[in-house]
Amino acid sequence: MSVLENIGRLEIKMFKAFTDTIMFAFKVIFRMFQRRTYSSAMRMVLLNQIYFTSVQILPLFFIVSIILGSLLVGIVFQLLKQLGLTDFFGNVLMGLIVTELSPFLTVLLITLRSSAAINTEMAVMKVNREIKTLEIFRIDIIDYLILPRIINGVISLVLLSSLFSILLLTSGILFSRLIFGMSIDVYSNIILNSANLSDIVISLIKCAIFGFFITLIPIRFGLKASQELTSIPIVVSGGMVGVFTAIIIIEVLSLITKLF
Amino acid sequence: MNIALIKQYHENMPRHKAEQIVLYALQRLGLLSIAYKRNPSLTNEERFCVMLLRAVMVRDAIVIIDRPLNIIPNLKGYDFIFQTLKKIEDFFITCHIYDYKWMAEKYGEI
Repeated sequence: MSVLENIGRLEIKMFKAFTDTIMFAFKVIFRMFQRRTYSSAMRMVLLNQIYFTSVQILPLFFIVSIILGSLLVGIVFQLLKQLGLTDFFGNVLMGLIVTELSPFLTVLLITLRSSAAINTEMAVMKVNREIKTLEIFRIDIIDYLILPRIINGVISLVLLSSLFSILLLTSGILFSRLIFGMSIDVYSNIILNSANLSDIVISLIKCAIFGFFITLIPIRFGLKASQELTSIPIVVSGGMVGVFTAIIIIEVLSLITKLF
Repeated sequence: MNIALIKQYHENMPRHKAEQIVLYALQRLGLLSIAYKRNPSLTNEERFCVMLLRAVMVRDAIVIIDRPLNIIPNLKGYDFIFQTLKKIEDFFITCHIYDYKWMAEKYGEI
């Protein structure tokens, strides 16, 4: 009986955490469309956040994208040649690498760098009572702290994933020449014919949803910290597990969407 | 410089304008040098001034100081508090200081 009770308790806890996150997400989305949210202070934080997430990461992002992208494109092209599926290389490049792997690898990179930082930042602010101080001065934490980070997550993910795709396609030029002996004109033609607008739109929407949740979940967990320093690692690890769970759920949901 | 945030947020003021107001107030207190310092590097007196400036950044500010010795434990005379308040008196409407009864004589006639 106690085993069943424990399972039930765990289920209730998980369901409550899930519904709380969804409710919080709706609250944030509602605020996102209110004009008064975009005050001078909020815009300043948003700009800083975009700089921290999208601009500061660029050198590392370029290196990782080029190395990882070239590796992926090289392996896939080599495999297609061995299997005699050269005709499908455009579909594979656009359908698998550009619309599936680019958002996934980008979200992993941003999660490792920014989500962890946001989670810790929120937890430290809570422990240091900085959030309490903001509330005392009637500074809305959703407007000033939460929304700039979430909007930044959405913008950064969409932009960086697009950049990742561009770098992949560019390295594809080199590998298509080396492996298939293909000219740039033929390569561009195949890519353009294989590009499906609905896939690209779904991919961009997926990036936006990724960006929303990989910032919202760490913030929520960070704000759960108590007044003790020891609560910081607990909420950070919890937040990161939550983020990776969300990434898997979104990835599965996007695959299901593509089936219809 | 996070003192400026309060004015910037409440009055939707550009950052540089809010910063100018804070710098002017700091200058009047003779504390311009601490403008870009962080909390841990401030002395108790400087921290008190920063807390006071934060409080007066809201419109029509009414300042309430609860047991000043809690903020500045090594304070010799309360004159420092009154002098500080006097230097920025146009930033707030009124100020109330609350302390224990047995501290009354330290405040003198005020």
